[in-house]
Amino acid sequence: MIVGIPKGLLYYKYHPFLITFFKELGAEVITSEDTNKDILDLGVKYCVDEACLPIKIFHGHVVSIKDKCDLMVIPRIMQLNKNEFICPKFCGLPEMVLNSIDNMPPTITDPIYAISKNTLYRWAKTTGTRVTHDTFKIKHAYKKAYESLINHQTGINDKLNNMKIALVGHPYNIYDNYINMNLVSKLNKLGVAVETMEFTQDFLINLEINNLYKKPFWTFARENYGFAVNAATEKRVDGIIYISSFNCGIDSVIIELIKDRIGSFPFLTLKVDEHTGEAGIETRVEAFTDMLERRIQNESNIPTHG
Amino acid sequence: MFYLGVDVGSVSTDLVLLDNNMKVAEKIYLRTKGNPIKAIQDGFKLLKDKFDGSDIAAAGTTGSGRMIASSIIGADAVKNEITAHATAALEIDQDVRTIIEIGGQDSKIIVLNNGIVSDFAMNTVCAAGTGSFLDRQAERLDIPIEKFGDYALKARTSVRIAGRCAVFAESDMIHKQQLGYNQSEIIRGLCDALVRNYLNNIAKGKTIQPKVLFQGGVAANIGMKKAFENALGFEIYVPEHFNMMGAIGAAIIAKKTSEKVGKTNFRGFELANNNIMSRSFECEGCSNKCEVVKIHENNSIIGYFGDRCGKWGSNSTKSANDLLA
Repeated sequence: MIVGIPKGLLYYKYHPFLITFFKELGAEVITSEDTNKDILDLGVKYCVDEACLPIKIFHGHVVSIKDKCDLMVIPRIMQLNKNEFICPKFCGLPEMVLNSIDNMPPTITDPIYAISKNTLYRWAKTTGTRVTHDTFKIKHAYKKAYESLINHQTGINDKLNNMKIALVGHPYNIYDNYINMNLVSKLNKLGVAVETMEFTQDFLINLEINNLYKKPFWTFARENYGFAVNAATEKRVDGIIYISSFNCGIDSVIIELIKDRIGSFPFLTLKVDEHTGEAGIETRVEAFTDMLERRIQNESNIPTHG
Repeated sequence: MFYLGVDVGSVSTDLVLLDNNMKVAEKIYLRTKGNPIKAIQDGFKLLKDKFDGSDIAAAGTTGSGRMIASSIIGADAVKNEITAHATAALEIDQDVRTIIEIGGQDSKIIVLNNGIVSDFAMNTVCAAGTGSFLDRQAERLDIPIEKFGDYALKARTSVRIAGRCAVFAESDMIHKQQLGYNQSEIIRGLCDALVRNYLNNIAKGKTIQPKVLFQGGVAANIGMKKAFENALGFEIYVPEHFNMMGAIGAAIIAKKTSEKVGKTNFRGFELANNNIMSRSFECEGCSNKCEVVKIHENNSIIGYFGDRCGKWGSNSTKSANDLLA
């Protein structure tokens, strides 16, 4: 049996779990290619028009492998943490895909509540039977998969003796280099080091959240807000770049919350959509880097006495 | 000696020559008309008759076409529009606190503090509320864009036009026109809508403090200036060379760069008569299938652009990339 895993959305964070799980069950696993022009075109063609770019791209990934596998995994991620939810498009992702794309192979759409080992195991038990009825094998595969997830470290924390920015946004915008037009390497080329949220401990993130009048409903909102504010107030970075998909409802709230909290701390929002011309993003990133450079120079020019 | 600045924008290509005192000695404003290479060559043809390539001590490029321009003319500095506009504004007025710049497809706000850029914002992926939209509406109403502002000033009242999206605005304008509102009232309404959109969108959350300079091609529109003043409640200033500010900034930055290096890369005005062409092709090297642009000059290739991996561009645009850093 060939299991297909589309390389979109939260694939970048959780792929070791899915790949290991289905491999250990004895299935052959294929993934789609890295996002490219064909995948973008397929996504735009099949997906409903109103969706955001990452959702469209996920559709493209599904289409690109749907005829090459016997079973497709469309993770219906409901929760990553207790009392928090993620973007509603994730909960309805299987419906969006199955109603937009014809001739789909059998699909795994069971909801994933990744809030504890037990709830995640419940997902593994149900989905495992689609490949094998050997419960021992499923349990073993789950164990292996969980280990690989724990050992999988994502995140960027460049060690350059230079300017540094906090790169904030949803993981699929940060790690899909087609969506973000190689933003990280563009920044590195300009001599800017990058730090992402994975290196900020959870309790520091929650410390910032406690200052809000209400705990955010969404996991990404909590993480992005907490990280951005923590990095700015601790002056660990010289500026913040928030990369956001055009149309994103959650981002529209978080970006305002962050700006509100950090005041005049340098902050740049990069909106991404179907555009593939890089001139726009380059102008903004270069101008932001110039600005940071001048601000740093200016600060160091201010005499310490009077 | 002179310093050349070239701003290749979406709507216009501006060339400027500054003298040793950073004063404008010559300026040329051309429509890009979708062909930046030709626009640069046309500009050079005009400059060639008056100046010699050896008079140019440094050349800089800016605007969304700055990379292509740099590889054609041999620039000493390639700078983004924000830094270029801020540099030019500070050169003419040290007291400027806010720059409103509305160009062909970009609009920007630049906030300056003690003579440095402390904050800026640009329109997002959408180009609503920029010069190209006014251009398009002028064409639709059959009014020369140069006269647009005068029409707005003639109106006693302003008709409310939806300003968020160019397409929405256009249908709103057509509905109002069919209801019998006159052209100048609609045009004034359009100016107000663009200003509202600018202040609520691009400038959102930023304090606009005087002194304000209004730059970019749209600053030619006296109706827009008035609409900004009405909304802000104080006078804003349109500098003499408002539509050249990007090019002026690029020239100033180029001067500094070439003084540091001690030479210029400028290739001279003769390239005006060369046969420069661009062709694009889809690279088959990997699944990214980048659309690569190849630029020929006479029979040699002078540059490649548009590849993500650097396979093509690394040979030719290296110098340009290094300049950016």
